[in-house]
Amino acid sequence: MTVETSHERQDGKGYDRVVVPAPEGGTRSLSRKQFENLPLRERVSYLIEGTAQFFLDGKPILPSEAMRT
Amino acid sequence: MSVARKALEMTQAAADVIVQRAGARYEAHRQEIFRSADRMFGGLMIGQWIFAIVIALTFSPYAWQGKIKTVHMHVWIALFLGAAITSLPVALAWFRPGEPLTRHAIAVGQMLWSALLIHLTGGRIETHFHVFGSLALLAFYRDWPVLLTGTVVVATEHLLRGILWPESVYGIPNPEWWRFLEHAFWVVFCISFLILSCRRSQTDMRVMAERGAELEALSENQWRNSSAVDRAAADGRGDR
Repeated sequence: MTVETSHERQDGKGYDRVVVPAPEGGTRSLSRKQFENLPLRERVSYLIEGTAQFFLDGKPILPSEAMRT
Repeated sequence: MSVARKALEMTQAAADVIVQRAGARYEAHRQEIFRSADRMFGGLMIGQWIFAIVIALTFSPYAWQGKIKTVHMHVWIALFLGAAITSLPVALAWFRPGEPLTRHAIAVGQMLWSALLIHLTGGRIETHFHVFGSLALLAFYRDWPVLLTGTVVVATEHLLRGILWPESVYGIPNPEWWRFLEHAFWVVFCISFLILSCRRSQTDMRVMAERGAELEALSENQWRNSSAVDRAAADGRGDR
């Protein structure tokens, strides 16, 4: 999977979608708002484990890029 | 213990620490704001006291009873009532900065200062602007209950003084009984927006603290990844 960096992107928009593990197995896709409304501990756990995949306009981006805005 | 279980426990422990640190950062930020506003009001209270004495000495320094000239009651009121209003908030700002009691006492004191200045200027409508200025300053705390305390004090004070001594608050002897409601309406209008602003500001502060936690979590993830690479490289060297 290729990921985009902010050098390639000019809009500085961050991310608009996140895919995280679902409690019952598999994954679930969340909007940015839904992700930000998750309890902080849950978000932090995904980021530590590296199990959150961030997307902007359907393209995957690095978590470090996603967290910039 | 399996490797996966150990990794999960390590993640949970790290997440707990990061979340606790975010909470501590948020509280520290709030405390910094409370203490800074307490210091500002401490200075303002003393400034208002001096200002009130100057107002009293300038506009009504003497009273006359026949040919006897005495110091006007306003001077004593500015001096002693001003000291009474100022002393507790200043003492609390000095000795107990950042505590809820301090900022609520300051809200009460600040509104009493509005009342005293309105009285000393004979109920001038322009001095009522002090109430609105004070509410805006109280919003510096970003703690909306403080605004409610100030509003209750100023509404009660206007109601009671409007009944007992209307000239002192409105500058006329026979205002309509509901005049205090008109003043209270504008105060409520003002604080409605200030409360919204305070709440939004608190949300922003929380988001900032949480954003810090997310960055810490990313950093933890990268540290783990680089440690795993280092271990793999070391194992590779060991195998050769």
